[in-house]
Amino acid sequence: MRIKLTSLMVDDQDKAVKFYTDMLGFRKKHEIPMGAYKWLTVVSPEGPADIELSLEPNANPAAKTFQKAMFDQKIPLAAFEVSNIEKEYERLAALGVVFTTKPMQAGPVTIAVLSDTCGNLIQLYQPAR
Amino acid sequence: MLLSSDTFRNLCRARELLGASPEQCLSVKHIAHQVAISPYHFIRQFEAVFGITPHQFRIQSRLDQAKLLLAKGDLSVTEVCMQIGFSSLGTFSDLCARRFGSPPSLYKRRARAMVQVPGNYPQELFPGCLSLMGCLPAAAFRNFQEASPLSLR
Repeated sequence: MRIKLTSLMVDDQDKAVKFYTDMLGFRKKHEIPMGAYKWLTVVSPEGPADIELSLEPNANPAAKTFQKAMFDQKIPLAAFEVSNIEKEYERLAALGVVFTTKPMQAGPVTIAVLSDTCGNLIQLYQPAR
Repeated sequence: MLLSSDTFRNLCRARELLGASPEQCLSVKHIAHQVAISPYHFIRQFEAVFGITPHQFRIQSRLDQAKLLLAKGDLSVTEVCMQIGFSSLGTFSDLCARRFGSPPSLYKRRARAMVQVPGNYPQELFPGCLSLMGCLPAAAFRNFQEASPLSLR
């Protein structure tokens, strides 16, 4: 059993793929049209290459409710590892990405939280060296 | 941009107000006032956080509601239009055509055709977590490689 696929709900897949590629720097892996929606996944160019993140529509009202409640409570729905969090913070903030938490020490890691413009808060973390 | 906790909370509250029922429909300017942000900054910050302007967000949430009401089938197109807070049937019809790819009457007919049990919504309206995968025919999995752009193979 392997973990090769994980997913995030987004309010608009086109907007999401732009944010996750242009801003965060991921690469689109699959984009398969499925009616009104798409099977849409991205991978990180920094690897591992075979772990995909699926950006799924949050069209289900239950999904919207969950997502909104988590957002309002400032709870991130995913966390991505970075090697230099200060640098990433500077880079993304300069691109206009909104952060709700500036890089801060949280136990053994340094974390920061940003809004992905698709209804989620995303945590970045840098493990202690 | 770093948002303070207060601004974050205010933007969340503004989103709530924008999605509220049409009876308590406030102008974007009024909502900006309510959450104590200048209208210009409000629009800019809202868009940076939610990826959509306040006005567009309101339209989007009304159309989401319209989808449900149309699929439910109890109300006529005109009634749906009024209930979600659009005063012009023409505008409503246009917006539907642009966002759902079909005018409301056609959307309703299609959605109703998918409804199996009265009162239940068609599953096609709500893809859930990984449910898109579940709907794929087995053959689609073999085509994953072919579907991906050449550069990523």
